[in-house]
Amino acid sequence: MSTHNLLDRCQQALDLVRKHGADQAEVFGQTTRTITSAVEKDDLQISKSQQETRIGIRAFVGTQVGFASTNDLAKLEDAAFDAVTLAKASPGDPHNVLPEPSEVEPVDGMNDPSAESFSTADAVHQAIRLLETAKSVDSRVIVGEGDFTAEIRDRVLVNSAGAEASELGSLFTYWVLTTARDGDAVSNMALKFGATRTVAEIDVEPIARGSSADALGSLGAEKGESFKGQVLLDPYAALSLFTPLQFQLNARNVLRGMSRWKDTLGESVAMTGFSLVDDGRLPGGVATASFDREGIPHQRVPLIEAGTLRSFMHNAYTAHAFGVGNTGHAAGSAGSLPAIGPTNFTILPGETAKDDLISEMKRGLLVSRFSGNADPISGDFSGVAKAAYLIKDGKIDRAVSGTLIAGNVFEALKTLSGISRETENVFNYTFPSLCLEEISVTAE
Amino acid sequence: MQKLLEKIVGGASGWIELRYQARSTKRITVRSGNLEESSSTLLAGLGVRALVDGVFGFASTTDVSEPGVLAAIAAAQSAARTSANAKRKRVKGLAEAPMATGTFTVATDDPLDAHSLDEKLALVLQLDKRIRSGAQEIASSTASYGEIQDEKIIVTTDGASAHVFDSKPELRVIAVAGRNGDQTMGMESSGVTGGWSDLLGIAAPEELADKAVQLAVDQLSAAHPAGGTSTVVLDPGLVGILCHEAIGHTVEADIVLGGAITSNKIGQIVASELVTLCDSGATEYSPYAVGTLPVDDEGVLTQRTVIIEKGTLRSFLHNRETAAHYGVAPTGNARAYVYSDDPIIRMRNTYIEPGATPFEELISAVKEGYYLRELGMSGQADSNAEFMFGVREAHRIVDGKVGELVRGVTISGNAFEVLKSVDAVGNDFAWENGAGLCGKGQAAKVDAGGPHLRCMLTIGGRQT
Repeated sequence: MSTHNLLDRCQQALDLVRKHGADQAEVFGQTTRTITSAVEKDDLQISKSQQETRIGIRAFVGTQVGFASTNDLAKLEDAAFDAVTLAKASPGDPHNVLPEPSEVEPVDGMNDPSAESFSTADAVHQAIRLLETAKSVDSRVIVGEGDFTAEIRDRVLVNSAGAEASELGSLFTYWVLTTARDGDAVSNMALKFGATRTVAEIDVEPIARGSSADALGSLGAEKGESFKGQVLLDPYAALSLFTPLQFQLNARNVLRGMSRWKDTLGESVAMTGFSLVDDGRLPGGVATASFDREGIPHQRVPLIEAGTLRSFMHNAYTAHAFGVGNTGHAAGSAGSLPAIGPTNFTILPGETAKDDLISEMKRGLLVSRFSGNADPISGDFSGVAKAAYLIKDGKIDRAVSGTLIAGNVFEALKTLSGISRETENVFNYTFPSLCLEEISVTAE
Repeated sequence: MQKLLEKIVGGASGWIELRYQARSTKRITVRSGNLEESSSTLLAGLGVRALVDGVFGFASTTDVSEPGVLAAIAAAQSAARTSANAKRKRVKGLAEAPMATGTFTVATDDPLDAHSLDEKLALVLQLDKRIRSGAQEIASSTASYGEIQDEKIIVTTDGASAHVFDSKPELRVIAVAGRNGDQTMGMESSGVTGGWSDLLGIAAPEELADKAVQLAVDQLSAAHPAGGTSTVVLDPGLVGILCHEAIGHTVEADIVLGGAITSNKIGQIVASELVTLCDSGATEYSPYAVGTLPVDDEGVLTQRTVIIEKGTLRSFLHNRETAAHYGVAPTGNARAYVYSDDPIIRMRNTYIEPGATPFEELISAVKEGYYLRELGMSGQADSNAEFMFGVREAHRIVDGKVGELVRGVTISGNAFEVLKSVDAVGNDFAWENGAGLCGKGQAAKVDAGGPHLRCMLTIGGRQT
């Protein structure tokens, strides 16, 4: 379905939902075409093609809201009826509002026209490169899983307040999960992810080599040491540990009274070297788009600047409830109500090379991946350090396994002692390596 | 629709699997008195799997007219052909299986559609209110209801033609308590394969809300335990999580072939002889388990699969391809979540069989240890069976008695080592993991449970 046809269908749904009794309404339509070629167990696995158009309808009856979605365009009227029925059955809420329409500036580089001719055979070719590159590093490497996906996505948003926005985007994503096996010894799983929006920039080899190297590095790991002290988190580990930040920065959680930062705007929440931005217009970003799930333009939003909390992430509901500006963080697909979520969530890099951070550590633990619990509310984290290395006298001493780390993310933010200048893109996150202090390290 | 698919399959060349799915879902979420979501979804489409020269290809479409289905078959066959040159290991064959024919329906006297949206909404609003009024310390509350109703038609060129109806509702409550800037959470949930009264009958909704409140509030004054190895008594919820997350995934035959720790262990002792661990398409020992399915998404009739029998590893979980590879019968574990997913090996209802020891005796023999209940915020496990789970509710056991609550507890270790340390298995049984979804590239409704049991594992706490 072309952008033009999708726009027509969304307009049709808007007319239908108003006919059935909605005072105001919003329709979000998505047509997604994907080709995926997967690898598994050191071999090419299944290749798949998919095309789906999904329409999501939000009906407002006064301050009551109902939502329905369908991928069956013959059932648009049923969905419109469901949305209105659900709205009428629901209690009202004064903050259920449509955002005011605003001008949407297109983002450059969202779509590569040559993606249209990207074929199943091209996807299979990239999957083979991913597999062969990972295997070429060492014969002990086993490619557990991975895939290469080419996606072209049309997004259309219309609402009864006059908003009309559409965008076509291409995206190529690839990931691989490897383990290494030597006799009975099995390493931890090592995950790497890569993405680009253009055919010319597709390069699966670095992530394949990186994943294999990580898996091999954790092979033969032995029992570590217990201490309380420094832990250097690589980006994948930092990502797992720092998810509570998103929870705290979500204005809906602030409204619910669930954010510990609800009364701390303008106050210090982290050491001064720490800055966090969310940039929905980041060139080439996985989550880049010109407008959010409610049609509001994406922008670069500083959330924490030099340790000071500057903003929460808002959609129309929370912006209305707090009486503040909408930051364009309405998130979600056509299959769900607009929620709140980050776009390209970025911890700004520091000035120190990662190697220099290591050389300053007398005794510490370098953690590549974290498998555990990070409580979004309390910030308490506890879990297994995967692909972890003991650091002694400024040097990597040896790989360790079965080592637990525990602490509190919010305390760690305030005592952070190092941020690397190197960063890595993991899905829609860009993170440096982070050096945490006073972390409990327990060797099993 | 079934007639059309049978006709198309009758005229097809090569092996084809057609799976039509129409899904209707509803979700209602109320947070702290505000309706956060009331939504409905209507999805319909067809997934096609084709086998060409020993290679699978898959395509999905929302166009289920005859030309639409034929075009999807052509796309799936083309995807298979494109990969055929590079594919190293070909599908050598699909194991013979009892293929399903006929109609399969969830047995319930009280279908979800017989209950109005108003009634469901009223229950969720009432639960949310009950949480907020449950204690002074409650800072926020959440109650949600979700339902999935599926109609599937599975037709293959080698004999399956099944029409399957399914119905899985669930309830979930979360209480957050706060005091002096400190916040804690309590949550409870229930889910069933069945109808409305089955869901309400399995756990009284008000009791779920009251338990969540109690746990959130009590944790405010609980201390963090010190880390270390300890004797523990696990409840059916955590036993289920251990079975599913830490053991179950390592015996899914696709994961086994990817290098899991179990790959050369069939016939070996991997657990205490007190442990018999199964995965079943039926709801054993207790009704309404959420992973219940009579027919898998390859059209194979499901069965009860004994994975570990009295401590010895007996079987992996198979689809028709891996069963042929190992020369065994398929276990009916091929599942696809929606029409656009291809069937992969998934668990159903995973559990440890009940033993002989009453709960009181499990506890009374422990001088110093912990009684642990339910999965906390998250859990993860690797293909080498190393796991880490957050624990929702942990009590110290001192001199054979369950004592004070502690907070922030995680458990970790190697699941097979933990099962080897089992020295007593309870004589009770419950399914406890029916709400929510299991993820493996695609979602699945599964369940897991078992009796209480006693074992040794590592408690994660804080180093002081």
